[in-house]
Amino acid sequence: MSEYATRPQKRATAGTERGAQLAVPRGKRLWDRTWPPLLAVIIALLIWQIVVLSGWRPEYVLPAPLTVGQTLVGQFGEPKFWLAVATTLNRALVGFAISVLLGSAIGIAVSRSRVLRSAIGSLITGLQTMPSIAWFPLAILLFGLSEQAIAFVVVLGAAPSIANGVVSGVDDVSPQLQRVAQVLGAKGMSMYRHVMIPAALPSYVAGLKQGWAFAWRSLMAGELLVIIASRPSLGVQLQFFREFANAPGLLSIMLVILLIGVLVDSIFSSVANGVRSRRGMGVVRL
Amino acid sequence: MTLSEAQATATILQSAAIRVQNVTKRFGRDGQQTVALRDVSLTVKPSEFLCVVGRSGCGKSTLLNLIADLDRPSEGFIDVGARKVGVMFQEASLFPWLTVRGNIDLALKLSGVPKDLRADRIQELLETVQLSGMGAKRPHELSGGMRQRVALARTLAQDCEILLMDEPFASLDAITRDAMHEQTERIWAERHLTIVFVTHNVREAARLANRVIVMKPAPGRIGSQFSIDIPRPRRMEDLSVATSAADLHELLQEQEAGHE
Ligand SMILES: Nc1ncnc2c1ncn2[C@@H]1O[C@H](COP(=O)(O)OP(=O)(O)OP(=O)(O)O)[C@@H](O)[C@H]1O
Ligand SMILES: [Mg+2]
Repeated sequence: MSEYATRPQKRATAGTERGAQLAVPRGKRLWDRTWPPLLAVIIALLIWQIVVLSGWRPEYVLPAPLTVGQTLVGQFGEPKFWLAVATTLNRALVGFAISVLLGSAIGIAVSRSRVLRSAIGSLITGLQTMPSIAWFPLAILLFGLSEQAIAFVVVLGAAPSIANGVVSGVDDVSPQLQRVAQVLGAKGMSMYRHVMIPAALPSYVAGLKQGWAFAWRSLMAGELLVIIASRPSLGVQLQFFREFANAPGLLSIMLVILLIGVLVDSIFSSVANGVRSRRGMGVVRL
Repeated sequence: MTLSEAQATATILQSAAIRVQNVTKRFGRDGQQTVALRDVSLTVKPSEFLCVVGRSGCGKSTLLNLIADLDRPSEGFIDVGARKVGVMFQEASLFPWLTVRGNIDLALKLSGVPKDLRADRIQELLETVQLSGMGAKRPHELSGGMRQRVALARTLAQDCEILLMDEPFASLDAITRDAMHEQTERIWAERHLTIVFVTHNVREAARLANRVIVMKPAPGRIGSQFSIDIPRPRRMEDLSVATSAADLHELLQEQEAGHE
């Protein structure tokens, strides 16, 4: 609430009296926003440490946070680690990009055509509930142990959410605003360009965010199941550390997977909130 | 058809900017139908300033929607010729993703005003509605009355011949409203607009109109008409305006009594 109230002031240009006055509260606001998740992380680490200290599992199975942290820092020096990160991010990027293109195209088609909607509208929602891991046997059968198999499942995971974002965005465009635009002379393409697309944007961004989460999950499942020889990825690293019973290594890779997921998600969140607050919609914190 | 006959037809066509003929509008399916308008006929002359008053729910907004071709009559027909119709809706309905300037700019763009002329036009329109410094604001940062005035500026940005206004000044203070009356009247005269103006305020109707029609509710019909010949410029405080408003008020009350 307070966040929303202070938004407009952010636009005061730097150097004006208002801008200068705001410099301090703005830093404080950043802190206000950072400390709760920071505290949560510290508590999680503490619990982890306590479980380790309790001796529930031997330390070579469940290492302490500090050990994992050291291993992680150690990984940073290894080219193989960066190669793995690069491979995985590349797959994520390509898969997500295809999903965006495909999902948007399908979404636009479905939102425009009544026949398509009744034909595949509910199928899209149905696909969303399908656990992506269930696609892999088929994907491997179709494409073998290949990049295509992984991309296939990533796209099947992400595209429905994106398509859904488009459809619900277009469906929710206020009829009153469409009427206003019609009176102002918008029709066909200009109606799409000036009204439908901007009005559907918040829902589209929400769809992209959800699509990303599905893409990332599907990708990790894929990398564990579809192992391509001599191509290190984060999934392969996980398998590798498990086979060698290297718990600190395993956990450090898991941390990396978590961090990348959260980081990208927070980018989508901030874009979504930027879009929403600029038009006076409530800011959603997820 | 002889030349004089053609001319006569043209004059008849010209003598009506808006023709509403035996229009009935029903909402909903059988069973629980609402008859919003029943057998409404109305002619608005070019450059006429027509005010419509009547109880809430008597079909005023419905009538404007039909004239603007945003909805189709259940029976009867409506003719505005080839005239362009602009509408200022009851709710400001600004595009929330655009700034105040952006909202007006879009209206100009859709009217085909070239880019290099738009900045000046926007400034001029913002001055007309007394919001010069507000161009960079977003709709949600404005008060209700400010939003209405942006909507007015956006409506005036269109190059239209018929202007339909649905309670446009309902949330303005008296002084701002007086100013908006003057501006509306000025633009009406300058551009030879035909205006249909819905209001609940009989004084406002007497201040602005050449003619006032009083609508009756349930189902919506035209009750009576009232021509106002007070010379312009008029002011809200003028005695003649007050007298006309009192007459109108009485008419509304009589109609109410007759209805019961
Ligand atoms: N889309 C709709 N669907 C069903 N009924 C409607 C619809 N629009 C209007 N009505 C009905 O038509 C009648 C007239 O509505 P309208 O909005 O034209 O009234 P109004 O005279 O503009 O009232 P107000 O002064 O309160 O704005 C009302 O009874 C309303 O319930
Ligand atoms: Mg109304």
